[in-house]
Amino acid sequence: MEIISRLTENYFYLVAVILFVIGMHTMLTHSNMIKKVIAMNIMDSSVFLLFVAIGYRHGAQAPIIREGVDIVYANPLPGALIVTGIVVAVSVTAYALSIIVKIQRSYETVDCDEICELRSED
Amino acid sequence: MESAGHQPVLIIVLLLISAFIAPLLYRRWRFLSGAVVLAALTGSFITALLLLSKSGASSSLSYHLGNWPPPWGIELIIDPLRVYMLLVVTGVSLWIFIYALGDLKHELHNDVIGWYYSLYAVLVASMSAITLTNDLFNLFVLMEICAITACAIITIKDQRECLEAGFKYLIMSAMGTGCFLLGVAMIYMVTGYLNYSFIQSELSLALTDYPLNIFTAAALFIVAFGTKAALFPLHVWLPDAHAAAPSPSSAMLSGLVIKIYAFALFMIFYRVFPRSLLDTIPLNEIILWLGAMGVMFGSIYAMLQTDLKKMLAYSSISQIAFIFMGIGLDQPLALTGGLYHIMVHAFTKSTLFMSAGAIIYSTGVRRISDLGGIGKVLPLPLFAFTIGSASMIGLPGTGGLISKWYLALGTLETGRILFLLVILASSLLNAIYYMPIVINAFMSGEEFKEKVKIVPLSMQVTLAAGMILVVISGIFSRQVIIFFEQALTSLY
Amino acid sequence: MDKATVIIMMVVIVTLPIIMTPVLMYVCRFSDRLRNGLAVLTAATTFILTLMLYPFIRDGGVIQQSIFEILPDLEISIHLDILSFSLAALSSFVWLLCAIYSIDYMAKEHACSRYYPVLIFTLGACQGIFFAGDLFSLFVFFELMSIIAYILIIHEQTEEALKAGYKYLVMTIIGGLALFFGVIIIFEIGGTVSLGVGVIVSESSMLGLVAFICFLIGFGMKAGMFPLHVWLPDAHPVAPSPASALLSGIMLKTGAYGLFRVFFHVFSVDLLRSSGWNVILAVLAVITILLGSAVALTQSDIKRRLAYSSISQLGYILLGLSILNFNAITGATFHIFSHAFMKSTLFLAAGAIIWKTGIRNVNEMKGLGRLMPVTMGCFSLAALAMIGIPPLNGFLSKWTLALGALDAGLPGYVLVLLISSLLNALYYLPIIIPAFFEHPEGEENSHEGDDEKHEVQFKIKEATPLMLSAIAILALCTIIFGLTPNNIVFSLSRLTAQYLLGGGSF
Repeated sequence: MEIISRLTENYFYLVAVILFVIGMHTMLTHSNMIKKVIAMNIMDSSVFLLFVAIGYRHGAQAPIIREGVDIVYANPLPGALIVTGIVVAVSVTAYALSIIVKIQRSYETVDCDEICELRSED
Repeated sequence: MESAGHQPVLIIVLLLISAFIAPLLYRRWRFLSGAVVLAALTGSFITALLLLSKSGASSSLSYHLGNWPPPWGIELIIDPLRVYMLLVVTGVSLWIFIYALGDLKHELHNDVIGWYYSLYAVLVASMSAITLTNDLFNLFVLMEICAITACAIITIKDQRECLEAGFKYLIMSAMGTGCFLLGVAMIYMVTGYLNYSFIQSELSLALTDYPLNIFTAAALFIVAFGTKAALFPLHVWLPDAHAAAPSPSSAMLSGLVIKIYAFALFMIFYRVFPRSLLDTIPLNEIILWLGAMGVMFGSIYAMLQTDLKKMLAYSSISQIAFIFMGIGLDQPLALTGGLYHIMVHAFTKSTLFMSAGAIIYSTGVRRISDLGGIGKVLPLPLFAFTIGSASMIGLPGTGGLISKWYLALGTLETGRILFLLVILASSLLNAIYYMPIVINAFMSGEEFKEKVKIVPLSMQVTLAAGMILVVISGIFSRQVIIFFEQALTSLY
Repeated sequence: MDKATVIIMMVVIVTLPIIMTPVLMYVCRFSDRLRNGLAVLTAATTFILTLMLYPFIRDGGVIQQSIFEILPDLEISIHLDILSFSLAALSSFVWLLCAIYSIDYMAKEHACSRYYPVLIFTLGACQGIFFAGDLFSLFVFFELMSIIAYILIIHEQTEEALKAGYKYLVMTIIGGLALFFGVIIIFEIGGTVSLGVGVIVSESSMLGLVAFICFLIGFGMKAGMFPLHVWLPDAHPVAPSPASALLSGIMLKTGAYGLFRVFFHVFSVDLLRSSGWNVILAVLAVITILLGSAVALTQSDIKRRLAYSSISQLGYILLGLSILNFNAITGATFHIFSHAFMKSTLFLAAGAIIWKTGIRNVNEMKGLGRLMPVTMGCFSLAALAMIGIPPLNGFLSKWTLALGALDAGLPGYVLVLLISSLLNALYYLPIIIPAFFEHPEGEENSHEGDDEKHEVQFKIKEATPLMLSAIAILALCTIIFGLTPNNIVFSLSRLTAQYLLGGGSF
């Protein structure tokens, strides 16, 4: 019982983990390259969500400090980090997609298994 | 800790600036473009040497990026082990770059060489930064930069094998960094810090309250760095990637890039995880066993290869596993061996890949069985290959013996003779797959039939330098070992 | 002679040949004669320099000096005592003769510009083994010599040679790894691997036994000890004859030398006796002796027969070593010398025969004594010494070994020696008797009936004088160092045994 209550309290962690597993599973098992890239993004996003969730505090406001006003504010650092993380993820995605375009041009397929077959024919 | 001046960041900035200038210059003055990167690499190497003289073997310096003090800002730390790694990174990449100047014209399309220089500089910058950084999130970003540039110097060669291998590499390393970031999140959750030193002091307290979080993070780190450094059984991407890449890239990837991750894992184990964590869960044991398996399987796979560069790539898997065994044994002597092997293998494998590159450059032959009698037409590359093989086997007079000696001492010191047998068996296997190539190249009566192009001077010089480096690392090793002895005392 | 001079001389002895190697390679481009002359000159200089150490040795001098530190506590160092001196002098002597012999022998061969530098380099490495001051340097030079010797073995580059060479190389690597294992265990147990500290291991332990076995494997492999001898009968015959002479005459002894060092400087003699580890070596040595002699009988290729004979002869040395008493050690040391002289003579003579006539099969050697009287005479002399006919040196070493066995109360070993001698007779006599007392094949019919003519019919087709002189000098050694008064080699052996058993003093 306790574990369920813990999980429901920290449901955002659970979501992040589920997303992470979905992403990883798809990335490793699907042979379509585009799907792999999408899965990679799901995986990254799950971690970003988790990170942002860590910084959240109940009833907190944006971390803007005004003189004399004592408020509860959310931890700004994870947010700042995740912005960087998103930039990184975007560039990796862009690069991966550009490779896929080139692969599609030379192999005329974006399926890993088919490429393996093509390569074994060489 | 005293201030380090601006030298630590200078290394990275120099390289990044050259990375921006190189492709621009390449449009007009091709020669200058290479020269700029060369100058930046030389500059960073010299700066690293200056850092060494500043920090010495026992003190450590800290640099606050943008003047933000830790734990808020990014901190770069210059301690003996990091300086050692920095020297290896900048030195070896400088050396490989000189080779690349000669080799690239043949491997790449003329228009992209300027971009290659740029990528190369960024790659070296990211690797130098990985060695210096003291911040987990910064490490994540740098690992991604390193992964992208490492992939890019593979896929820049417009061949479909390269594209496919590069994509596989990218996906695997994306998975690795994903796991790493999740691990960082777990650590951040319980400690609230990203700075290594702050985490280390905080984790020992957090260990009692949130053990599961930390265990998960440790497991994720092992997966992450295992994937990136091709630790068995996460090595699947490596052979294709390293074999398909242009030869300077192969030398770079096998020689340095995988080791950077091994070094990063080493740093995480000893600079982020507190001693109590390593004592609670058998992390080192896991690494040790995976390393031992990697040593054996890498060698066995390598024996089965018919392609020269693929064989070298599989051999890298077994050699990187030596470094992991050093970490896994968790003992100063073994760590000395593992860390020394980082340098030795960087020299050796780069030399081997360079000589393979020279063979491919001048004859186009890649198959091992077609190399009969090639030693007579290409004496220097094959001689370099011979010296490299000797170091792989661990013959006296080469660096391979020194690292093996210390690893073996470490196994004996911890009383684990089984792993000593693994080391010896792998040497034997190395002998079995390296020697026939050398014998076949020099001693078989066959005449080499293919047409032979002359190897450019820059390649010849670097090959000769490679031989000398391998031998020097086997003879004048005393200072380095003493340096390690002093540096490693801070870990225990 | 003061210590500093001796140290400098020792360094020169080791480095001179190694430095001369690239010089020889360079000289090859200009003149073959210059190259040959330079090779002989180097070997001669090395020999003379080694001999010049004798006064120092005679006064009972021992030197242990570190030259260069490779790792903390691990260095390249030199060590000179009577054992190193004896072997170094022996090896440079045989090397010199083989180099002289090579000049004519190799004139017909290809790739001499590879052969001479390698020949001289191995001399340097070999002297390095004998002068090594600690196990690590010993290991380094041992590997260096073994691996470079590979090039000598496969010199002919035939399919057969390459195959034999590969086997040799793999065995060398295995042996090298075993040595590495052994050295590192000793380093772990004792914290040093120096030969100058007397005894490193004096307590029985599991790890010590492992190290001992590793040394047996590593050095025994080189010495052709059963069951690690498999590379030897393939590798020795395919090499050019002067190289075979060196391989059998000297390089095998480096393995025996290593075991000497292990027995007396690493493990204490008392430990070996009390724990019975020496019995391991004794058993293997007995098998090696009998097996080598028996298999030699079945070989018809002369060089293969000689190679198997080497295996059994090395068995004597190992047997003497395992008995561990004064007479046995004297015999073993003396047999190192005897066997070097005998086997080098045999291989060089066999080489001359092959060189001149192309005959390799022992059954075709009938009447050869008339064709090549000097060569065959020397061959016979050495063969008789092998069998152990007094007053030749082979007899003396067997006699001393037998004395040692009796001293130790092990008459069984004497029987082994006798059986082996008998077998030696069985495979050497059928070569030499027909060579002198039968007609060459193919000539029997044409000269049937006029016996007297045969007696004087010496159609001499000898090898060149240079080759003959090398063979003859070695053959003479088998007599000079046999049962003669003032046998300096024998007294050296006695002093060596005294030194080794006395734990460092005469």
